[in-house]
This record gives sequence, structure tokens and C-alpha cells, in this order.
Amino acid sequence: MQRYAINILLCAAALVLVVIAHAEMLDKYVLNIIMLIGINCIFAASLNLVNGYMGEFSCGHGGFMCVGAYAGSLLSVAFFADSKLFGAALFAPQLAPFLFPLVLLGAVLVAALAGLLVALPSFKTRDDYLAIITIAANYIIISLIENIDAIGGPRGFSGMKKTVNAMSDLVDLPWMLMWTLLGVLACVMVIRRLMSSTYGKGVSAVCQNEVATEMMGINTNRVKIMAFMVSSGLGGLAGVLYAHVYGYVNAQSFSLLKSTEGLVMVYLGGMGSISGVLMAAVVFTLLIELLRFIIPWFNGTFHDTIIPWLNDVLHKLNLLSADDRLHTDYQLDQIWTWVIIPLMLILLMRFRSEGFLGNRELTHVFPRLKHWVTLK
Amino acid sequence: MPLLEISGLTQRFGGLQALTDFSFQLEEHGLVGLIGPNGAGKTTVFNIISGFYKPTEGNIVFNGRRVNGLRPHQITALGIARTFQNIRLWNDMAVLDNIRLARYAWLGYNFWDAIFRTKRYYRQEKTIEDRACEVLEMMGLANYAGELPKNLPYGLQRRVELARALASKPRLLLLDEPAAGLSSADADDLIRFIRWIHDEFKLSVWMIEHQMKVVMNLCQHITVLDFGRVIAAGTPEEIRNNHDVIKAYLGDDTL
Repeated sequence: MQRYAINILLCAAALVLVVIAHAEMLDKYVLNIIMLIGINCIFAASLNLVNGYMGEFSCGHGGFMCVGAYAGSLLSVAFFADSKLFGAALFAPQLAPFLFPLVLLGAVLVAALAGLLVALPSFKTRDDYLAIITIAANYIIISLIENIDAIGGPRGFSGMKKTVNAMSDLVDLPWMLMWTLLGVLACVMVIRRLMSSTYGKGVSAVCQNEVATEMMGINTNRVKIMAFMVSSGLGGLAGVLYAHVYGYVNAQSFSLLKSTEGLVMVYLGGMGSISGVLMAAVVFTLLIELLRFIIPWFNGTFHDTIIPWLNDVLHKLNLLSADDRLHTDYQLDQIWTWVIIPLMLILLMRFRSEGFLGNRELTHVFPRLKHWVTLK
Repeated sequence: MPLLEISGLTQRFGGLQALTDFSFQLEEHGLVGLIGPNGAGKTTVFNIISGFYKPTEGNIVFNGRRVNGLRPHQITALGIARTFQNIRLWNDMAVLDNIRLARYAWLGYNFWDAIFRTKRYYRQEKTIEDRACEVLEMMGLANYAGELPKNLPYGLQRRVELARALASKPRLLLLDEPAAGLSSADADDLIRFIRWIHDEFKLSVWMIEHQMKVVMNLCQHITVLDFGRVIAAGTPEEIRNNHDVIKAYLGDDTL
């Protein structure tokens, strides 16, 4: 029993979360953030398979999230909504909770296929050159989707809320929260089980010595295809969940900026560490959300306190004549998030390049944890 | 029928002819050597056999099957394993995992078995693990199963690499300078060790080696390469007294 303590604790926490969300004791905004944390966990953990375990540098993971988001959204709308694009709904809305896994699965499969776009060139290309290919793949996917007018083009695509509503109309539950939690669980299980099997260790082998790997009877091309497809497939899972949580997708939300977020989370947590990356996803998502409050607060302080104080000092020192005043109309806004986040990445690389945990798991850092948790 | 039959092997890298018309036959359960000065093309021969290079010309038949043009992992699966001149282990994986991965070509389960942890997965992993432990035991490495190779001394790393090659149950073992970096006493151990492996695992061994003591002691037959050409072949006695070989190694004394 003791060995399952943490597993049970996590399940209980998830259940409590669902219950209080159901009782509407959670603010909609807070609920959204919790779901976003889950989505980022999947996004970062799946990127970690390639960047951490396989040691390749994929910078285009956002592209696969985009494919998953659109594929899932299209399926969802075709299944449960009357639309201009697909005509009448294919299924009755009462079927939504049962068929939603199909939507998720479809998104994962399509995103996994998109992963081939990077997997096939990776046979002969590696390191920096492969990184460039992944950036290109990201651009190709975004531009392609943005230029298909039937699915909204640059205006984005919506209608997925109908599916979500159909689910809650049938049974009133916080469905998307539940699907997200299940998604995180599935993602962690898949990666964990894969990487603890001899089959999956082929991925680490490619990372550590590719020549020896091929020479020792391991088909490295197949290993790479598998790793890239699993990674992009799970990235797609993050995408389809994102699309349904917000009810709207736009290709631009999955640009290189999104991919960079993934990179920050992977490197913050530690490459090749599932627990590290999950921690990083939580910390990072909360940080971004906190900046939404910190930046306006700082903007206010800046204009109301710092500038007047500076004026006082300058007047006292006679550096400024009495009727002159420093003033500025400049307003600090959310753009600064994208100064602060990359700055964090720079500081991280400079002072703790191995991230929170390096390539170790929490159970390696705190061996006692092993008595409390069972991982299979 | 010989286990390995090489005929007319030629390898060009751009303008450089690394190997010219190399032919060779290796009988089942043979223990033979390949020697020659630095840059003679010895490792090139091994790299071609193990599929790392595609030969410009020539044929390699292993166990009645033409193998040139196959990818390295396919060749390993047919029963040719090798070690490397500079050790190539997976350094951030436990020794046991290094050995387990050598069974990758015979995993016997697929991606879905690993994800859903089917009966087949557990059964196959058990077989692989047992086999790996057995090899470690035989090679006297059982105590190091949990260590990372990078933390082991050089001699043990060599032995782990050898264990990994043996774990794939090869019929032909290619050893690329197994005694490199070993002291004279260690080399004596190695001689006994290789002889033991050769008998115990019932396989053929072909080795590249610079330490004459090791080659002369172990090999029934030796081939000498110089500038990509065979300059001599025969028993250790014949090679020892061959004028061309002495010239290739020590230079021409008639200057």
C-alpha cells in the first residue's frame, strides 16, 4: 500500500480538482490556467522525448501541436456541429462524451503522421542541420494551414465549443478538465513505459552513440521514426485539448514562439527527465500568468511612484530646473513577457544549464521517494 | 563452405584507394588475424564487412548469403558482431542496459507491447534480461551490472564492449585492436580470455591487432595488409620470417 502512496495522492488531488471544478468553486480563469498547465505538461513532455532522450534539437514542436489542434477541431466539428464546411453533424450530440476519444485519437494520428516531415530527413541529418529542418517544418505547417481558406485561413477556426457543450448538456461535468488530466496521465505513461523498455532505450542509445547503435543491430532509422512520431503525436494531443479548452484555434498561436515555450520548459526541467519537465511546465505556466499581473502592476508603480520620485531627486540635486519634469507616455505591456522569458532562458543556460533535475528523475534526487511511489 | 568469403574487395574514397582487390576466406571456428602498419586499411575491411561502408567493388558472402549493401543492423542480425578501436559504449546507460540493447534485433515484441505492457512484453524482457545477466556472469562483470560504463576503468570498458558483442550471439566476432592500451600483463590475460571466448561461445574470431605477442600467440592464420594490398598471408611462423612484412613494418634496410 505504501508503495502506491504518491500515486493515490495524485489521483485524489485530480479527483478533488474535478469535484471543486464541478461545484463551481473555481474561478473560470483559474480553471483555464489549470487546464493550460496540463496542456503544457503534455507539450513539454512530448518534446522532451526528442530533445531530451534522443538528443536531437527540435525547435518546431509547435507545428505538430498545430496539426493536432486543427485535425482534432475539424473532426470535432464534423462529428457534432452543423457547419458550412461539413454540412450537418454526423452524430447526435448525445454521443459526444463517447466519441470524443476518437477525436483525440484522430488528432494524435494525424500529428504523428506530420512528424514524418521531420523524421524522414533525420536519417541523414542531425544536430544544427536537423534543428533548421524542424524550424522549416514549423513554418510549412503554419503557412499551409493559414492559406487554406476553407478552414478559416488566418481568421482561425472555431465551433469546437459545441462539442464541449454537447458533453456537458448530457452530463454536467467539467469535461475538458477531465480530458486534460487523462491526457497528461496517458502522455506520461506512454513516455515512461516506452523509455523503461529495452525497445525505448534504443532512443537513448541513438543519443549516446549513434554509430555504435547502428552497428549493434539497432535500426536507427526506425528508432528515429518512432521517437519523432510519438513525440509529435503527443504534441498533437496537447493541440487538440488546447483547441477544445479555448473553443478556437489560430495557426499563429502555434508559431515558433510556441515552440520556444516548449524549449524553455524542457531546458528548465532538465533534459531527459519526465518529473523535471512536468515541474517546469507547472512553474513556467504559472510564471507567464503571473507576469500578466506583475507587468501592469509594475507599469502602475513606474508611472505613479518611480517617475515622481526620480523627479524629486533630480530637483533636489538641481539637475533639473524647477518647472521641468521628466515624464513618459510609455506603457509597459505584455510584449515584455517575451523579453523576460528569453532572458530567463539566457540566465538558465548561463547558470544552471542542466535545469531543475538534469537528466535525473525526482526519485533519483530523493531516493526515499521510491518507497512511496510505484511507476509502471 | 567457408563462413565468410570475401572476393575482390576494393574501396575508394574519392581519389584515395584504401583497399585494393582484397580476397579472404574464413573457415567456421577459425581464429585469424589481420595486421599491417598504420593506415594500411585494416579497419576499413572491418567497416565494410559490418556495413558501415559500401564497397566500391567486390563481394562479401557470409554463411552463404551476400551481405554487401546491407545496413549495419541487418548484418549484425545475421551474426556478425564487432568491437571498436576506440571504445563505443552507451556511456550514460547502466552496463546491464548496454548488454540488453545488444538483443535489440531479437526483441520479439513491438511498440504496442511496450506501451500496453502485454504478457509478451514481460516474457521477452525477462528472456533478454536473463540472457544479459548470463553474459555478464560469464564475462566476470556481474558486479558491475548497475554501473555506468564511463565510471569503469579502461580495461573493464573493453570487456563490457566485448560482452555486448557476445550478447548478440554472433557466429563471427570482429575485434578491432582488443589489446590497444593494455599493459603487457593485461595482454597476457587478454590472450587467455579471447581463447576462452573462442572455445566457449563456439564462434569464429577475426582480429586486428598491433601487439605481436597477442597475434602470434592466438591466430592460426594471419593476413598482412600494406597500403590497401595484401602483402603476405600464412601461419604466424611464415609471417614472422616474411621479408615483405619485415620491410613494411621496419622499412627497407637496403637503402
